[in-house]
Amino acid sequence: MTAVLELQDVRKSFGDKIAIESLDLAIPQGATYGLIGPSGAGKTTAIRMIMSILFPDRGRISVLGQASALDAKDRIGYLPEERGSYRKMTVGAFLTYMGCLKGRTRAQAFGRADRLLGRLGLPDVATKKCEDLSKGMLQRVQFVAAIVNEPDLLILDEPFSGLDPLSVRLLKEVIAEEHQRGATIIFSTHVMAHAEELCQQIVMIHQGRKVLDEPISGLRRQYDTRRVQLEPLDPDANLLALQTVPGVESLKLNNEGCELRLVAGTDPGAAIRAIATVVAPARIELVRIRLEDVFIRLVSQSGATENSTEALRTHLQGLSQTGVAT
Amino acid sequence: MSLSLRRIGLVAARDYKTSIASRGFLIGLLIMPVLLVMLVVLIPRILNSHSPQVAGEVAVIDTTGKVTAELERALLPTEIVKRRTLETTQSPAPSGGAPRPANAAAPPVPELTVVALPAEVDVQSRKSWLVQSRDAAPRHLAIVSIQPNAVERRPGAEVFGSYDLYASSHIDDGTESTLRDAVRAALIATRLRSAGLDPLAIAKAQQVFEPETVVVGADGDHVGSRGVARFLPFACGILIFIGVMTGGQILLTSTIEEKSSRVIEVLLAAVSPIELMYGKLLGQLGLGLTMTAVYIVMSLYALAQYSLAGLLDPILILYVLAFYAVTYLVFGSLMLTVGSAVNQMADAQSLMGPIMIVLIAGYSLTGVIGQAPNSSFSVAMSFIPPINTFAMIARVASSAPPPAWEVWSTLLISCVTAILVVWFAAKVFKIALLMHGKPPSIGTLIRWARMA
Repeated sequence: MTAVLELQDVRKSFGDKIAIESLDLAIPQGATYGLIGPSGAGKTTAIRMIMSILFPDRGRISVLGQASALDAKDRIGYLPEERGSYRKMTVGAFLTYMGCLKGRTRAQAFGRADRLLGRLGLPDVATKKCEDLSKGMLQRVQFVAAIVNEPDLLILDEPFSGLDPLSVRLLKEVIAEEHQRGATIIFSTHVMAHAEELCQQIVMIHQGRKVLDEPISGLRRQYDTRRVQLEPLDPDANLLALQTVPGVESLKLNNEGCELRLVAGTDPGAAIRAIATVVAPARIELVRIRLEDVFIRLVSQSGATENSTEALRTHLQGLSQTGVAT
Repeated sequence: MSLSLRRIGLVAARDYKTSIASRGFLIGLLIMPVLLVMLVVLIPRILNSHSPQVAGEVAVIDTTGKVTAELERALLPTEIVKRRTLETTQSPAPSGGAPRPANAAAPPVPELTVVALPAEVDVQSRKSWLVQSRDAAPRHLAIVSIQPNAVERRPGAEVFGSYDLYASSHIDDGTESTLRDAVRAALIATRLRSAGLDPLAIAKAQQVFEPETVVVGADGDHVGSRGVARFLPFACGILIFIGVMTGGQILLTSTIEEKSSRVIEVLLAAVSPIELMYGKLLGQLGLGLTMTAVYIVMSLYALAQYSLAGLLDPILILYVLAFYAVTYLVFGSLMLTVGSAVNQMADAQSLMGPIMIVLIAGYSLTGVIGQAPNSSFSVAMSFIPPINTFAMIARVASSAPPPAWEVWSTLLISCVTAILVVWFAAKVFKIALLMHGKPPSIGTLIRWARMA
């Protein structure tokens, strides 16, 4: 499949600080890629280089068949992490202006902006000034500005930050529609759950290096967590008895019951059946892989982190909670 | 990478439309003519309309016994008006002998009454006469003590004696000045009479009214054009200065606003930093040219009211527009650079300081250079960028313009300077746009330019 975006041995530093050590990436047409990693990992720098807002110290970038995004800006939609608008402009004028800058006629830009505003629950704001909108409304307007040109490549940097759950759902729907239309989507986030839900392929960046580039389906197979969550039918059941079940490596009590870790190579089905015979379950399931776990495992294995595993987990969870709450 | 003229044009058009429709620009556009009218017409009238007519007494100790009568005459309102008229006009009074009406903007004529004191009175003992409350009536304004040799010289002396003046602390400058003029006129008249001469005949003999210069041009004769010619270098300088300041300030503030409102990265999704910079520069260049054109049209209209419109050479108008454009590109690019490098207006002050000093220095030179357009200083300044445009436009607008090759040389030097400054600004602009945090120093800006 044709690659719409290729990065080869790209490096970027700011003075003594290396933002991207060496990044190779090839994103095929029509794919949905999630670019994940904690804050400061280098995601935004990578995206800014893709957009030719920053330029790499070394390496080669090809976007939509062009040597620079500057020659393909009309075909790219970009929602930056730090986004704003002209406060005194009306929403309609702002979106039309952005559409015209990206090669659309005024009529085309205004027509599509109007449709998208309606789709995102903002049918009557075209004549309002940007400064009169709430933060959430403005976020949706800025999203419209990113896709007003019907881009072939859509790059979204933390698109859900600051949005309420309803707006998040609307945006996810429109992103899915853009994908169905044929747009290739690159989606940067530190909220791993969003990446898991929306992306076909995950690229993890940590300390300026790519530590993972895998399809979500492959990750689930490759990174089996070997963990089982049990919620007992009887709240007073003796859960500690489960430690003696064959195949159970360890047990950790939690609010719902306990989480059991299986010995490597154990058949999960046999283990679940054995567990159920000792403690009657109200609910028992294999814990689904979390990107957070994959990330921590990768970072720990590579030894590239100065942080302890627990500190990194706490950091990621903190970020995750922040991302959801804001 | 190729620049898209379409995108540059769109950015320029948006910036131009937004700026020209803003209340701030319209106020700025009107403020200069309004200030000018206030300066020339309204302020003197307003100031003088609030000056009450001064009335009071002036004591005279005339040791010569000859001056008092002349002084009484010299202090008559009609005589005061006559002297003022002679000072302020160069043309003869209208025929028929009637005095010219007093200038409406002149202060009111004081009503001063002479109180003659005996010649032997000791002035020191009468000083207390001047000390009285502010609202006392009649007001004692001054004591004039005529020296004994004020009318006739002492034997062997080359000069006449004069007079001593003791004034109340309540007397204003205008009244004191009127009194001094009157004493001077009275002393001269008395001296002439004493020498057997007719003061009136001598005064008339001394009157040589200066005619208005008739400037002969290809389009005919123009009377009264010297005043315009003297004002023209300064006016051209101020036009360029105001245009550059208006465009530059808008560039500075709009860029800071775009940065602080975080719209900048949204824009950079659609245009390259250089396209954005060129678009912004062009938009405000258009605004400045509009503003300059409006002022030129207003000036032409004003000159046409006095049949002086022909004095403005069309080539001078073209030079003003061309010199404005290159001056704007230099200073506007620098202001744009400052705007891109800081996050709030307060941070811009330290970087704007040197730019403003150079800009004001250039503009301040126009008056001096217009008076001596071909001095070594003026010629040298015409070739030192970035203020050479101000120097040259002052010379071109002066009564002795330089040869064309000098003008074109200045224009060429300015164009090269503008290209270099825009190149430097572009390098800093694309780095600085996404920089946040503490405002950079000039050294940091230069380092960014090297990095880019």
